[in-house]
Amino acid sequence: MTKPTLAGGAAIFGVVAATSLLLSAAAGAQTTINFLSAQNDDVFAPVIEAFEAANPEYRVVHQSVPFNDLNTAVESRVGSGDSSIDVYAADTPRVPAFASKGYLVNLDDEAEAIEAAVPNPVEIDLVSHDGSIFAYPMWTSSQLLYFNRELLDAAGIAYPDPAPEDRLTWEQLIADAEAAQAAGATWGFMFQQVDRYYQLQPLFESAGAGSGLTGDDLLEPALTGEKWIETAQWYGDLFESGLAPRGVTPAQTDDLFERGELAYFVGGPWALNRFNQVDGLDYGVAPMPYFEGGEPVTPTGAWALGINPHAANLEGARKFAAFATLTAEGSYLTTVNFALMPTNAEGFERYQGRLAEMTEKVGPVLDIMVYEMANTAVVRPRSVGYVAFETEMNQAFGDIRNGADAAEVLEQTENRLARLLARL
Amino acid sequence: MDRLRQPLTILAFLGPALLAVVLLRLWPAVFAVDLSLRPPRGEGYSLENYQFIFTDPQFLNSLVVTAIYSLIVNPLQIAIALALAVLMNVAVPLIGLWRTMVLLPVAIPQSVSAVVWGVGLRPDGPVNALVQALGFEPQRFLTSPDQALASIILIVSWIGVGYWMTFLLAGLQEIPRTLYEAARIDGASRWQQFRYVTLPQLRRTLTFVLVANTVANFLVFAPVQILTQGGPQGSTNLIMNEIYSQGFVIGDARSAAAATVVLVSFVLAVVSIQFRMMRAPEDEER
Repeated sequence: MTKPTLAGGAAIFGVVAATSLLLSAAAGAQTTINFLSAQNDDVFAPVIEAFEAANPEYRVVHQSVPFNDLNTAVESRVGSGDSSIDVYAADTPRVPAFASKGYLVNLDDEAEAIEAAVPNPVEIDLVSHDGSIFAYPMWTSSQLLYFNRELLDAAGIAYPDPAPEDRLTWEQLIADAEAAQAAGATWGFMFQQVDRYYQLQPLFESAGAGSGLTGDDLLEPALTGEKWIETAQWYGDLFESGLAPRGVTPAQTDDLFERGELAYFVGGPWALNRFNQVDGLDYGVAPMPYFEGGEPVTPTGAWALGINPHAANLEGARKFAAFATLTAEGSYLTTVNFALMPTNAEGFERYQGRLAEMTEKVGPVLDIMVYEMANTAVVRPRSVGYVAFETEMNQAFGDIRNGADAAEVLEQTENRLARLLARL
Repeated sequence: MDRLRQPLTILAFLGPALLAVVLLRLWPAVFAVDLSLRPPRGEGYSLENYQFIFTDPQFLNSLVVTAIYSLIVNPLQIAIALALAVLMNVAVPLIGLWRTMVLLPVAIPQSVSAVVWGVGLRPDGPVNALVQALGFEPQRFLTSPDQALASIILIVSWIGVGYWMTFLLAGLQEIPRTLYEAARIDGASRWQQFRYVTLPQLRRTLTFVLVANTVANFLVFAPVQILTQGGPQGSTNLIMNEIYSQGFVIGDARSAAAATVVLVSFVLAVVSIQFRMMRAPEDEER
């Protein structure tokens, strides 16, 4: 009995071994491209599927990390020479810092193709450092004022005008939000990216306070001017008065609007897909407010695709990044589940059509964003010190939101930044 | 022949462990010291990074916060763990259930506990609902510079107490019952039994728990990173979070390496003092 069993076991082992060898050989024929981003898998699933269908020799594995961890992942993995990331999403203002540290492949040899697909020189500038292109421009962003129609109706407040020239001032918005809260809304107003420089920079720019960085290389912090302090205190007061909630992270703010707890919400267009899927959420969009006497200003910029210089598979990485950004199909597919604007001109044509369909439900969302992009968008400071700057600013905004004295926090932040930036 | 072979055999058995120690402990430590001595701009070696961190108000504040935190959290956790262990060492009905309940938080990853507590302690969260139901003012917890560190202590203790209790419970069960019988015959009260039998017998276990807990608390990171990122106003900026944000968020690896060297030296000093303090009088004489 023993002998046949042994022989049988050996035979089975042989078959298993042979099969696994075959399988690994088959897998070896397919090269894996590792792609790191802060988006959910479903955002990139369509573009990955299309890329794999057109290039069966490649398999793209998307690794998603939380927004706050992406920079850390790039810093620790790309920075230490890890070859297991091929392509990664880089926020455009971080491109100079990453490029100067050698975390991005120089793409000048593909400059012609990139400039042809993305004709807007501003977008090319956003992915460049020292005159060279370091990332594939993928998306750009704008901002909208979302409002909950039911909560406004309950308070008897007129909907904000969708025409950019008739946009609300912050002063009006706060008064309306207070009225809505008095009439039953849990919260009057909230920023989607609460405590983040991206969304708060326009407040300071609109108030005439400046970006916060000055000097030829934008390496000198300037946060203690009167307008900076005044505007920062205004921000803190929103939370002190209970108009907006403390203790809620940027990742949790969409939920507040989705659940109908918020009368007004300033957020990016990427929330549209999510909100449209919520049954019974009756909402509209209008242009982002500005300070009375100031300029209307909106944030812009978004993720680009960078190539890790240590990538195990440089060629495949570039092929995938080019597909997702430089082809009409690929760039459009990156926005199907995530309504950020593709920088690719042809991709944007297709994107427009889909967004125009939303007008009936939420208002002229496309017109607003096109207007803002052309007239009010202000980019974040482009400096090798941006990563440190943004980190410290976000922390400062968090402290001010939690009730710290704005002047004190800004002074501490300015001192700290001056020391940090001097080390770069 | 045997004499020659023996060291080789020993080396063969110890080899993998030694290799791991060198690769995973010594090499990174040497690397960190080396990096900490390299100035951010320029070549060669200098103390510039140390100079930078010791004049950085944020780093100095993180040292103060870490010291306050350690002085509170370690005695607190060990006292509660010991009290629970003594309680769980008594034969009461459903003892297995109680022990499991106390130990249960250990089975949940720190990060998950932090997220759940983060929602619970939100100003509009369930904990405040309870506080208000009991007739108190709602509290700000993690959003207040005065309460955030205490909230972090609450969260890490909720996780840690059950874990350390398990060790102490094992230590308690090792104490021979005859010692208690002898003490009772001598007329010792409950407190005297605890003071003169339980505590001395538990010394070794307590030493381990004290040292391991102290080190663990110096290295607390996940709850801070997830819940406060060191804020509000630096009130929860424990040194691990400071090192992390300096090294990986801002990308200043050299000053982070200097801070790491400071942390490791400090932990080693504290732990060696603890070992000394916990030594029994009879050990001293040897």
